[in-house]
Amino acid sequence: MAKKISAPLERTARLLDLVPYISSHQGISLKELAQTFKVDQGQMTSDLTTLWMCGLPGYTPLELMDLDFESGFVTIHNAETLSKPRAISFDEGVALVLGLDLLRSAISPDRNDLLGRIDLLSQRLAGLIKLPSALSATTPVNQEVSSAVSEALRSGMGLQIIYHSLYRDELSTRIIFPIEMVEKDGHFYLSSYCYSALDFREFRVDRIQGAMVQAVQKEIPKSTIEQSSYTATIKVLTPTRAIAERFKQSELAVNATFDFETYSLQWMERSIMASGRAVCLQSPPEVRKSIAVMAQSMLDCYKAS
Amino acid sequence: MHTVSRKSERLVNLTIALLATKRYLTKSEIFNSVDGYEGTAETKERMFERDKDDLRSLGIEIEVGSFDPLFNDEAGYKIKQEKYQFELGDISSTEVSLLSLAAEAWQEASFGDVAQRALLKLRSIGIPSDELSIPATVQKLNDGGQDLSLITQAIAQSQRLAFAYLDSSLKIKMRSVVPIALSTRNGFWYLSGVDQEFQEIRTFRVDRINGPIAASAGPKDFQTPTGFDSSKAPSESPTNSFALIDVRVGKAPSLRALAISTQSLGEWDQVKIPILNLDSLCLLVLWHGPDAFVQEPAELRELVIDHLEALVENHG
Repeated sequence: MAKKISAPLERTARLLDLVPYISSHQGISLKELAQTFKVDQGQMTSDLTTLWMCGLPGYTPLELMDLDFESGFVTIHNAETLSKPRAISFDEGVALVLGLDLLRSAISPDRNDLLGRIDLLSQRLAGLIKLPSALSATTPVNQEVSSAVSEALRSGMGLQIIYHSLYRDELSTRIIFPIEMVEKDGHFYLSSYCYSALDFREFRVDRIQGAMVQAVQKEIPKSTIEQSSYTATIKVLTPTRAIAERFKQSELAVNATFDFETYSLQWMERSIMASGRAVCLQSPPEVRKSIAVMAQSMLDCYKAS
Repeated sequence: MHTVSRKSERLVNLTIALLATKRYLTKSEIFNSVDGYEGTAETKERMFERDKDDLRSLGIEIEVGSFDPLFNDEAGYKIKQEKYQFELGDISSTEVSLLSLAAEAWQEASFGDVAQRALLKLRSIGIPSDELSIPATVQKLNDGGQDLSLITQAIAQSQRLAFAYLDSSLKIKMRSVVPIALSTRNGFWYLSGVDQEFQEIRTFRVDRINGPIAASAGPKDFQTPTGFDSSKAPSESPTNSFALIDVRVGKAPSLRALAISTQSLGEWDQVKIPILNLDSLCLLVLWHGPDAFVQEPAELRELVIDHLEALVENHG
C-alpha cells in the first residue's frame, strides 16, 4: 500500500501533474479534466485558480503561467518549466514492470517486435527506480486463447472453445458467446452463454485449452434453469493448510464439523478423496458410499500388483 | 482551505524556481524571490525546512550544493530537470501503448491507484497511444490487499523481512527472509528469498503470511544469489527422485503437466514426475481416483495406500 500523504501535499502533487497533462491535452474540457484527476469540478476550478498564481520568481504576467479555463475548456501557456511529466515513483515503476511482464506472457511468441520492446521498456523502468529485475507476472492462459477471447469480446463474436472440466476430468468442445471476464478468488472466468448447455456458464480462462472466433446467432434464449447445490458436512480429523484452503475455512479444530456448499458432486467426491485421512465426509450418504467403494477398489488394485 | 491553497501554491512556486535556476539558489535568494515566504527569519527558515521535506516526500529530489565551490559559502539548492522528469528517452507510440496496457492490467485495488497515477504521467508525455493495435491481454493483476510496495522496496534494498507464516500443518512459524523476487501466478503472489535460518532460497505464498510483515536492515554482506528464475514454478528445488505414475489415456492433465516424460502403454500412459513434495503429490494422485495409479516409488505407494485405507474406514 502506498504511503498516505497529507491533503496539501496531495494537492501539490496534483497541481504539478496538471501542468504537463494540460500541456499535452490543450483545450480539454474542465469536466473531463476533473474526471481524469478524480476530483469534482469545483475542486478542479480551485486547483486551476491556484496554478494561475504560480510561475517564475518575479510573478509578473510575463513569468506567471498563462491559464485559460473560463470557457469550460482549459489551455495553458508559458509553463515550460513544469511541462514534462514528473519522474515515476518506485511504486509506479513496480506496477508498470509487473504489468509489462504480464503483458509479455499474453502476447503471441511470433510478435518478436512487441516482445523486444517490452523487454527494453522493462529494463529502462527498472533502471529508473533502481530495481533489480526480480519481478515476474505470468498468465496461465495460452496466447492463442488470450487473443481469441479478447477479439471475441471486442467484436461481439462467438467462440468455439476446448474446455477442460476439472471435476469431470474431461475435454469438451463448446460454442459459447462470451459476455465478460469476471474475477473470483484470484481466478478469471469468462462469463458466457453456452450453446452446448443452452444456459449461462462461467468458464475458468486458464482451463480453456483452445479457442477460435466464430460467428453465432446473437439471440440468447432466456433461461430459468436454476443450478442445484449440494451441502457437504465434513468432519475434521487432522487440521491442515490444504484443507483450510480447499474448503475456505479460516479455523479448523480436530473433530469439529463444518458445512460446505458446492454445485458439483464430482468436485465433492474428488475433494474428499484428495484430502485423504485428514477429513471424513458425514453427509450426503450416497457420496460417502461411493467414496468408500472407490477407495476400496483402488486398494484392491494396489494389493493385486 | 485557504492555508491548504497557500501551502500548495508556495510548494509549486518553490519547485518552479528550483527547476528553472541554472545555479544553486541560496536560502536568502529563495526567501527574497519565491512567493509565499513571510514572517520572521525564524518562521521562514522553519517553513523552508518543512517544504524541502514535503517535496522530497513527493519524490522530488532537491540537490544541495555550494554557490561557489572556491569559497566555503552558504549552501544553495536546485532541482535537476533530468531527475524531476519522467525520462524514458525516445519513446514511440507503440511503446506508450504497451506501457498504458501494462498500467491498465491492474485492477482497481490499492495498487490500481498507483498504476493510474503512472498512466496519467504516460498520457502527459504527449505521444498518442494506439492500444487497439496490440493483441490485448485478458488477465488482470490484483494485489489482493497485499503490501507489494513493502516487499518490492525490500527487494531493491536487500532488507530483511520477518513475518509469521502458516505451514502445511497449519502451524504458525516466524520466518526471516531477505527477499530476492516477487512473482504472481494464478492469482497468487509469491515471495522468494534467502531464508536466514536455513540460508537457502525459499518461496512463500504471500497470502499465507499471517499478520504484518516487518522490514529491517538486511545483512551487510548480502549477495543476491544468481541464476534464480522467479518465473519458474514456486518452491521448486532440484530433485533427483521421480515417481512413475500410470494415468488413463485422456485423463489427469494436471499430473501430465508435471511430467518430464510420458510413455504410452495402450489404455494407460506412464508419466515420470519429479517429486518435490511427497504429500502434495500423493493428494494429487488421490484427486484423480481410479484414473491414476502409482508404480514407483514404494514410499509414495505406501502413502497412497495409507490414505485409501483411512478413506475406506472413515466412509464405510
